[in-house]
Amino acid sequence: MRLSTLPETNFAILSKIISLVANITYSEGELVSLLQSRDALAFNYLYDHYATALYGVILPIVNETEGANDVLQEVFLNIWRRIETYDPSKGRLFTWMLNIARNASIDLLRSKSFQNSRKNQPLSETVDWGNNYYVSQPDTATIGLHKLLEKLKEEQRVLIDLAYFKGYTHEEIAEIEGLPLGTVKTRIRNALIQLRNFMK
Amino acid sequence: MNIKEYISSGIVETYVLGLASGEEAEEFERMCGAHAEVRNARELFEQQLERNAIAVGVQPPRKLKSLILSEIEIDVQKHAPNKLIIEPEKLEKIPVIRLTPAFWKYAAAASIILLVASTILNFYFFNQYKKTNDLYSQLLISHNQLASEFKIMQSKADNYASAMDMANDSNMAVVKLPGVTEHPGNRATVYWDKRSKDVYLMVNNLPAPPAGKQYQLWAIVNGQPVDAGMVDWELGNMKTPIKNVFSAEAFAITLEKAGGSPTPTPNAMYVFGNT
Repeated sequence: MRLSTLPETNFAILSKIISLVANITYSEGELVSLLQSRDALAFNYLYDHYATALYGVILPIVNETEGANDVLQEVFLNIWRRIETYDPSKGRLFTWMLNIARNASIDLLRSKSFQNSRKNQPLSETVDWGNNYYVSQPDTATIGLHKLLEKLKEEQRVLIDLAYFKGYTHEEIAEIEGLPLGTVKTRIRNALIQLRNFMK
Repeated sequence: MNIKEYISSGIVETYVLGLASGEEAEEFERMCGAHAEVRNARELFEQQLERNAIAVGVQPPRKLKSLILSEIEIDVQKHAPNKLIIEPEKLEKIPVIRLTPAFWKYAAAASIILLVASTILNFYFFNQYKKTNDLYSQLLISHNQLASEFKIMQSKADNYASAMDMANDSNMAVVKLPGVTEHPGNRATVYWDKRSKDVYLMVNNLPAPPAGKQYQLWAIVNGQPVDAGMVDWELGNMKTPIKNVFSAEAFAITLEKAGGSPTPTPNAMYVFGNT
């Protein structure tokens, strides 16, 4: 029986109730093949399992709550619609999703309208998202990879910020920083190895 | 470069985090295909990254999930009919079995046994089906009930959340309207947005208006009452956007004929409060 054919029921509520009652867990392979066969319950599980992690990826890049909300929405719709293009031989599902999330965040960061809206923003603006009363500008310095950045040397931190959080290519960074391309490459690689060691 | 050096060069981290150039990524994927060690190193970092991301993640606003799921629901409905189509190539591939006379004897015996077994099973399954079907109908009813209750609760909670938002907004003037002498204990609250001049009313405690009557909000401007809109009783004690008020010394609520009066009826005032 398909959930969506039930009369007069709100799918979001139903899947919430079902996931609460059933408490289902999937292996990564199962999850991917269910998603590829458009299983909405599996998607519900995917959201519950990964939304927090992906929001933590998006927020420090976008650095603004409403923009991050838009990106998270876009990312999950993209995951649902483009799951066929996920190739398990190239990496884990989360890695694929993480890169979708990072790319979408950087796209938003670079969009003209977003840059303009940021300039015009009042200093504090309450956001009306359910029970969240944070101001728009979240303190992202304490989130995810961003927090680990603190532990790096200044010269490394600048490069990771430009590469990972701003999305510049190694060539662009070499130009911005006036460094040889090889130096940029090596410093970024070394910084990433250090970041990895700081991770849990 | 040997494999160990390649793995520890930082390429694994660079690739997984999406920072590798096109060339580097192609080379890395080639190396993964050729060397299990590279593949394992990648998997190891991916798992670590995933664990870390889950551990340090940030809970997104609660409303986002239902927004996303309702988009998905639309997609599900669009894709639903495609599932029943059987591909013709698969039908042609069903193998053909050649049969001998001896086969038929066994086949006859087997089919009688199968017939008996199937009759018994049919009976059993029919009973099971009936039970399950009853159970399913019951479940569906309680499910729908639960879902509609949930909807009501959710909209209530949303209303409370936006009322809380208003209450916490520093640009929002809160005017308490306590009951006048004739109506002690009655109470209402006006939220007055200083920027947009929007007025929201929260009825904390007022008796239900009798048939044909309606509460009316007045702004007192220079000592004169000015109509500030009718109170929609159906909305209960939730916020109700009323007319914009640009200046007022006080607010008051009177009970008037449905649709409102041009000036307030004397002695019909219930609550009053200075701004």
